[in-house]
Amino acid sequence: MEGLQRHRYLSRPRPSGLADVLEVILDKGIVVDAYARVSLLGIEVLTIDARVAIASIDTYLRFAEATNRLDLYEHGGKDLGEMTESLAKGGASGKTSGVIDGAKEKVGELLHGSDDDDDDDSSGNGRSRRSRSSSDRSSNGGSNGNGRPRSRARQSSTRRRSQEDDNDE
Amino acid sequence: MTTSVAASAYVFGIVSAGASLPEVDETGLAEGLRLVEADGLAAVVGTPPADRSVGRAADLIAHDRVLAALVDAGTAVLPMRFGAVLRDDAAVVDELLTARGDALRAGLDRVTGRVQFTLAVRYEQDVVLPELLAARPDIARLRNSSTTDSLDGRIRLGELVVQALDQARPADAQRVLDELRHAVDVRLNKTTTPEEVLNAAILVDDGQAVAFERATEKLAERHHPRLRMRLVGPSAPYDFVGTG
Repeated sequence: MEGLQRHRYLSRPRPSGLADVLEVILDKGIVVDAYARVSLLGIEVLTIDARVAIASIDTYLRFAEATNRLDLYEHGGKDLGEMTESLAKGGASGKTSGVIDGAKEKVGELLHGSDDDDDDDSSGNGRSRRSRSSSDRSSNGGSNGNGRPRSRARQSSTRRRSQEDDNDE
Repeated sequence: MTTSVAASAYVFGIVSAGASLPEVDETGLAEGLRLVEADGLAAVVGTPPADRSVGRAADLIAHDRVLAALVDAGTAVLPMRFGAVLRDDAAVVDELLTARGDALRAGLDRVTGRVQFTLAVRYEQDVVLPELLAARPDIARLRNSSTTDSLDGRIRLGELVVQALDQARPADAQRVLDELRHAVDVRLNKTTTPEEVLNAAILVDDGQAVAFERATEKLAERHHPRLRMRLVGPSAPYDFVGTG
């Protein structure tokens, strides 16, 4: 509607991906009492899938992992991150920007792992969550392998959300 | 709950009678896009596919596209909730436009000349978690202990981190809200994950949209790098249609 504005700090997805559409419009708008219920079944499932609040074991593990991962950048990564940032702030010239982008990617990998960003919505499998008592797999818990790989459990929602991240920056 | 109902009117939203239809690809839900008018109001209606139920991702996107096209054209619209299917155009008139006429007109008045933005604010983990560890020696100790070698230990660590974020969130959210500019109205959506600080729907006058966006960029800059902000819109006023 108006001319596109350029932003350095604000993320402005254009056009909105499915993740944004979901977030903005699901459960919103005028409801008709006399809906033909024919169409609603699938939507209700989708709604639960996307918006259920989670305070699950998976979430805790994810944050434990993120907290532990801090070591990585305390030993080097952080400096790189700050450097990248200050350079970007100072208006990097075309000559160096490639290098900076590369560095940024590296930092991103270090900090976020390669599977996905710090993104959320592990809600997809909320109801089939493994119970806490089954800690028999603790030796490799959370990372991957034969157990219940964290990233795989969240794959469907990650796929949905990944569009969002692609639009970032 | 079966497909025995031959529904033929998918309602995208409510506009004033005589409004122009948006130019969109008339496929899927938007097939046969038309206005169904009554009492100065009009429903923007398409014909849903007869051979399947509605609820796919493509349907959701189509719903948004039609409403976005209306907004882009400057047409005031009250969005319907996704999935509003009625029997036929007559039912749209009887059960929607006539039955709810007063509320719809009032709702349209409220959003005319305005658009919605949606602002999502999240913690940047790499900034907030170190901050949190510095403020909470107990959590830092737990992290550095062998407790976290076990699954239960890691769950405990994560739980404490999430609880600490829960405590910090209200103040951070309020600070952002206090600094919002050019908002006519604000609705808060529930956040669903620990790193979400705030999800706010913001109603803005058309003429202020550019200024709002600029001010929000400043806001994001002030909170960088601790908070990440994402702004979606302008969109139809999904969060400002009244009580439903």
